[in-house]
Formats: sequence, structure tokens, C-alpha cells
Amino acid sequence: MTASDIARTAARKLAAAAAVLLGAATVAFAALQLIPGDPVTVMLGPFSSASPAVRAQITAHFGLGRPVWQQYPRYLGHLLQGDLGESYQSQQPVLSLIRGQLWPTVQLALAALLFALVFALAVAVATAGRRPALRAVASLVELLTVSTPSYWIGILLLTAFSFRLRIFPVTGDQGLGALVLPALTLALPMAGVLAQVLREGLEAALEQPFTVTARSRGLSVTAVRLRHALRHAALPLVTLTGWLAGSLLGGAVLVETVFGRPGIGALMLQATTNKDMPLVIGLVLLSALVFVLVSTLVDLLYLAIDPRLRTDPVTG
Amino acid sequence: MPRNGRRHTALLAAAVVPAVLLAGCSSGDTSAGTSTAGGSKAEPVHGGSLTYAVDTEPISWDIAVSQQDVTGSIQRNVFDSLVYQDPEGGGFQPWLATSWQVSGDLRTYTFHLRTDVKFTDGTRFDAQAVKANFDRIVDPATKSQYASGLLGPYTGTKVVDPATVVVSFAKPFAPFLQAASTPYLGFYSPAAITRYGSKLGAGGPADVGTGPFVFSGYTKGQSAVMTRNPDYNWAPKAADHQGPAYLDKLTFRFLSQDSVRIGALRSGQIQVAKSVPPADLKSLKAEPTLQVLSEQSPGAVYSLVLNTSRAPFDDLAVRRAFQRGINVDADVKSVYFGAYQRAWTTLSPATPGYTKALDNTLAYDPAKANQLLDQAGWTGRDSDGYRTKNGAVLNVVWPLMPQNLVTQQHDILGQAVQADLKKIGIRVQRPRQDVGTFVKQLFGGQDDVSDYSWSRADPDVLRLYFNSAEPPSKGGANGTFYKDADLDTWTEQGLTTLDPAARAAVYAKVQQRAVNDLALSVPLYVGSALVGASTRVHGLTSDANTWLEFHDTWLGK
Repeated sequence: MTASDIARTAARKLAAAAAVLLGAATVAFAALQLIPGDPVTVMLGPFSSASPAVRAQITAHFGLGRPVWQQYPRYLGHLLQGDLGESYQSQQPVLSLIRGQLWPTVQLALAALLFALVFALAVAVATAGRRPALRAVASLVELLTVSTPSYWIGILLLTAFSFRLRIFPVTGDQGLGALVLPALTLALPMAGVLAQVLREGLEAALEQPFTVTARSRGLSVTAVRLRHALRHAALPLVTLTGWLAGSLLGGAVLVETVFGRPGIGALMLQATTNKDMPLVIGLVLLSALVFVLVSTLVDLLYLAIDPRLRTDPVTG
Repeated sequence: MPRNGRRHTALLAAAVVPAVLLAGCSSGDTSAGTSTAGGSKAEPVHGGSLTYAVDTEPISWDIAVSQQDVTGSIQRNVFDSLVYQDPEGGGFQPWLATSWQVSGDLRTYTFHLRTDVKFTDGTRFDAQAVKANFDRIVDPATKSQYASGLLGPYTGTKVVDPATVVVSFAKPFAPFLQAASTPYLGFYSPAAITRYGSKLGAGGPADVGTGPFVFSGYTKGQSAVMTRNPDYNWAPKAADHQGPAYLDKLTFRFLSQDSVRIGALRSGQIQVAKSVPPADLKSLKAEPTLQVLSEQSPGAVYSLVLNTSRAPFDDLAVRRAFQRGINVDADVKSVYFGAYQRAWTTLSPATPGYTKALDNTLAYDPAKANQLLDQAGWTGRDSDGYRTKNGAVLNVVWPLMPQNLVTQQHDILGQAVQADLKKIGIRVQRPRQDVGTFVKQLFGGQDDVSDYSWSRADPDVLRLYFNSAEPPSKGGANGTFYKDADLDTWTEQGLTTLDPAARAAVYAKVQQRAVNDLALSVPLYVGSALVGASTRVHGLTSDANTWLEFHDTWLGK
């Protein structure tokens, strides 16, 4: 891969990222235009006692009275300058609101990813292709975690480990102890999906001729699983993990609400229930950005896992 | 007070008051010592840290801007008011103002202020601070969603000397003392206003008042932390003690899930929980380490408001039948497990001006309802058993609020009402609407029924409900769209007198005419603030809004 190849690939990735962000911004803007009713009334809620003068002031302050064809370019112009505007409701810059809530959610998401991957690897390697009874039990548990709403998992975990056993605090961002239950709540359904996919992959790989070859060279069963089969099974795992990582923000909405944690999810819930448009748009853009970053990371991981992909940059 | 959609529907559930406590603490007899939550007397303990879990989080902390109950109820601990409304009788006591005179035409209020009060940033509270705050509230740039309404026809504040202000109005404005007693008309340090201005909504250390607690920290999505104001020495007379609060630290946690809030209370991770779900009342009361405090919310009860501007509710007989055809007693009891009392009139019994005259006047009477509908000409039946007249079905549209605005299981209560009405042949349709459509339909008078409550410790709330100048589109609550000369006159008369007896008489007439004579609404239940607390918590009191005040609160063993 030459330097110009790399530059070309990077430029292409950047252009794609910009396109995704522009698309997200446009869709968010359009969606908010389509919400029925006067935006200020929607924002204030059905029984606001705000007087018509106050409503007019809010409308004027945010430029909501202008026609859409004027609002859209103005909005894009601000976005290009990195100005996400000011939250209607809390009167603070959207950027600083998001910045203030980002870290707790990143912590939560990373911890959840870590838990999910560790669980999935442990369960899949231990059960792939052997001991049918154990495998069946593992499958059942996975199915349960996948199909139980994460809200419910959170309440169950809280009831058991916080309210009864009193091992972890219910509450918020108070050190690592308070991170365990929320992260587990997010991780369990992910672990269930990942373990199933990983086991399928492992089992398929173990049936390949190279397994017999490796075994005949004297490698133990576990060594074959870890060193050979796992690499084959890892590609779908990475794809899926990337996809799930992108969706963590959605999961964070529920988890942060249940556990009373600060974070982007809680902010998202507040923004959408209050129709706080600049904040909603800011959060949509953040999700799009996370999606772009994760998919780039997944591409890079592919290259690391499968050497065959490295030889031909054009197929990337 | 103010309400947003949530709070409306939530019956403005904002707050909470321990009835038991009130009995002990509002006597005005400070020598009696401290009342405790359990009713026993004990020596208060200084120090300690208490965590109170509430179910919603303020969007904006700015008391001059926000319309949320939760903002007012939390900020009550940071901001004092000119006067204090007695939670028992609804009368007014000195607070930051030592005395006041009201002009005969109720257009000028002169307040004489305490001279020993300091904001927690060290600056002095004086007449200039009153003017700066009131002028800021009515400045359109502030975009005040609620406080500006509380100031009504405000024309200005005049500083006579540092200890005297005159607040003027364009018209007689009787509800002003009550408005002035709310946290929304509390006082920021003018230095903080100058420095933070529109950023006051962010809360935290910018939030500088004169109250017993200092707002020292805020983690959005998680908690707000208050610490004791060591200089505090100007509690209203109704307080159990003068001087600083007992608690060192007071933490508000935002736990919106009922099960989590109650679980945290049971496991001792928090000491007080707001909004106990009625279904949990019995089991909480059974726990020896917990107590439940219940206080009826003031203002307008949760009612069905009938839109009289279109068929079928343009017909009085149909409205009467609708009132009689709902088994309110049974529905309220089964949905709320006896935690809430059924309502007979628009005002809650906790509001000055409440009349008992309507008790039992509109009891469930399906036979009477059927008779009224027959007389009104709805004599046919369609294949589903619904009544018809000239081929049209007796159909009523009552939209469901957007899911996120439904609280207090109003959707379930609605199902019970729907089933009752089916028995007398009225079809109730409940389309689920998004906020935009909901607001448009409601404001435009396009529905037949809307449902809400409106919390305010003053009977002037009846003006919002029944005066024809107060449609929802103008910030009022008159979803009846009915214009009645008497109701207009009486609700305006209520604004022109401060005499409690005269006001009570006028508002009793309003309730009789609106609910009983004209059948404009169906009062369903009186919401109660239900608070769960550890038995370690003593001296928990609440204000006229049923909002907890922590100045007298202390933690025992």
C-alpha cells in the first residue's frame, strides 16, 4: 500500500463521514419540521401558562418564525462553524451540555462492551461443539438475556444486588462500584447475541480441515480453539460488536434513567420529551459521529485480524 | 403553580407534606419544641446528611423562567419569599417582609423588609433586590414561562428606601400575596443576576438566594447537592426553630423509576422518597423503619373538562348524563388503592375557598343518566349498544396524551371511565396523539374531553378554569370553551378582594354554577402528595403547595 493509496483511502473515508453527518443533520432538521403543531407550543407542553408575549419572544429568539428555506441554510451555516446552538429549555450551549454528559456514558459503554466481550468469549469457547447439555443451557440463557427488555434486567439486578444484598449503590456516578450494575444491564443482552454468533463461527471453523491438521501437529483442543478457530470466528464478531457499540447510546437512555446516572442517554430522553430541538439535533449528530468512528474502527480491526485484506487496498 | 403538561396531568404532584407533622409545627407555638415525623417529641440532632429522591429533574433551574413544579419545590430550600403562606389556613405571615399594606383598590402593595437578611454570596437583601428580581421576571428577554404570569398586571416596583418597596399593578390584583409566597417570586442575589443572567438556568453555585440551604453542586442527570447556610436566621414564624438548618447536607437525587426510588428507600440508600406509587402504600406502611406522609395537593383537582363548543356537549342534558354515568367512587378507589379521595368539586379541599356544598350532589346514578339521555333525544341504539339520534352515534372524543405525559395511571383510570359510559350508551374514543396534534386539537377546541389538574394554593385557579378570557391557547385552562356572564363576573370579583369570607362566598358560587348547574366538568379525584421516609427522619415539614421544606428536618438514630 503506497502513501498515495493511504491518502486516497483516508480522503474517501473523510468524505463519507462528512456525507453521513450532513445526512443526519438534514434528516434531523426535516423530522423536527414535520412535528405537528407550533414548535414553541410543542416545546412548552399542552398546559403551559406562558403568555402569548413570552411565546412570541421565544419564537423570535430562536428564529422559529422564519420560513423553512431560510432556517435550513442558517442552521447548516451554524453547524459548519461548530455551533450547535443553545438548548431551548435550559438556555445553555448544546455543545457544553453534551460535553458535560459525555464521559459518564463513554465509561458506561466501554465497561458494557468489555463485559459483553469477556462473557461472550468465555461462554462460546467453553461450549462450542461440546457437551450438548451445557451448550443447550448456555443457549437458553443467551436467548433469555437477548429477549428480556434491558429495563427489566436493570430492575432485577438492582433488586438483587443493590436493594437486597446491598453490594452496589443504586445511585449514579459514584466511582466504579456504581458502574457495575448499569454496565451489566447493557452488557447482558449484547453478550447473549455475541456468544451465539461466536459459537456458530467457532463450530463452523472447527469443522474445517485445518483443525484436523492442527490437532495432528499435537495442539490441544483449547489451543486450536483459541489460536486458530477464534481468528476465523472473530470477523463476524467484530462486525456485530461494532454495530452493537453504535446502538449502545439507545440502550444508555433506559439504563441511565433506571439507575439515575448522568449521561448522554438521560440527556437524550430529556431532549426528546421536551422537544428541545437544538439539543435533539446535537445528539443526533453525536450518534452519527459515533457510528462513523465505530465503523472506521471496525474496518481497521478487519485489517488486523485478516491478513488477506491488507494486500489489496482497493477492496477496502 | 405552574404546570407543564407533565405536571398537569400529574396533578401537579409536586409536593408533599406530612400531615402528621403539620399538626405539630404549624401551631405557631415555637415553645412547644420540635414536632417529629412520628409525632413524638425529641431533641433535634444537628448535623448529618439526608438524601431525598424526586421523580423528575428540573430542565431549567431558573425560578424566574421555569414552569416546573420540581424546580419550585427544590428551590424552595434555596430561596425565601416576601411572605409565607400558612399551610393550614392559607393566610400570610411575615418572612422577608416584616409587614405590608395593600391599597384599597388592590393595585399597590407596600412591603417593609427585614434589614438583617443576607444572600449567601454575602451581599445584602434590600428593596433594590426586590426590584431587580421583579423587573427581570417581566423583561421579555427573560422568557419567563411562569413567574411572569404570577406577577399578573405588574406595572413596576418603586424603591422607597432600602427597607421599603412598593409593587404596583394596572388592575386590582388580589392573588399577589399568594404569588409572592411562592419560590417562583423568590429572590436571586442581584450580583448573581448581573454575573450569570440567562445562565442561571444551569443551577449550581450560580444559584444564589437567601434560603436555609446553599446550592453547592449539581450533576445533571444525577443529583443536586445543598449545604447548610450557617448565617440563616430569618425563617418564617411557622417554622419550628430559628437559626440555621439542622442538616449539614441535603442531596436531591433524580430517580424517575418508581420501583428504583422505593427500592432505594427500603434499602436505606435514600432517606426520603417523593411520589410513592399508591400501590406501594400498604407495604411501605407495614415496614417498621418507614413512614408514609400524605397531604392533599391544593388547586384544581384532576377533572374531565367538557368542551361545550360542539356536539354532543353543547347540550346540558348530555353533560349532566356524562357526570352521572361515571362511577367515580369505584374507579378512583380501584385504580389508586384508596390513596386518593374522590372529588366533588373543582377545588381541592386543601385550597382556600373550597366548598363542601357540592359533596354527594353528583353521585353515580346510571338510571338518572339514562333518563337524561332519553330526554335529550338519544333514544336509538346501534348494533354495539351505543345510543343514536337521527342516525348519529353518541360519540365523545377524549384524546390520550402522548405516552410520556401520562402519569398517575390516568390512562387506566380512563379505561374505567370508558367502561362506565359504555353502560349508558356513550361511546368514548381515545385516540393516542403526539404532543403537536394534541396541543393543536385542545387549543382549537377540537376534542370533546380533556383531562388535567392545576396546582395552586389559591382559588383564583377557578378563573383559569371557567373565565371565558382564559382559553388554553392563552395560557389558561378553560377547556370548556363556555362563556357564562356569571362565571366571568364572579371569578373577576375574586381578584378584587382580600377578605377571606367574601372570597369564599364568591368562589362557592363559582363551583356551584360551573360544576353543578352547568356541568362543565367532572371532578375525579384529589391528588395527594405521598412521601415515603425513614423513621430516622424527623421534623419534615411542607409548605402550602405540599412541597417539602428541610429547614426543621433532622436525622435521628
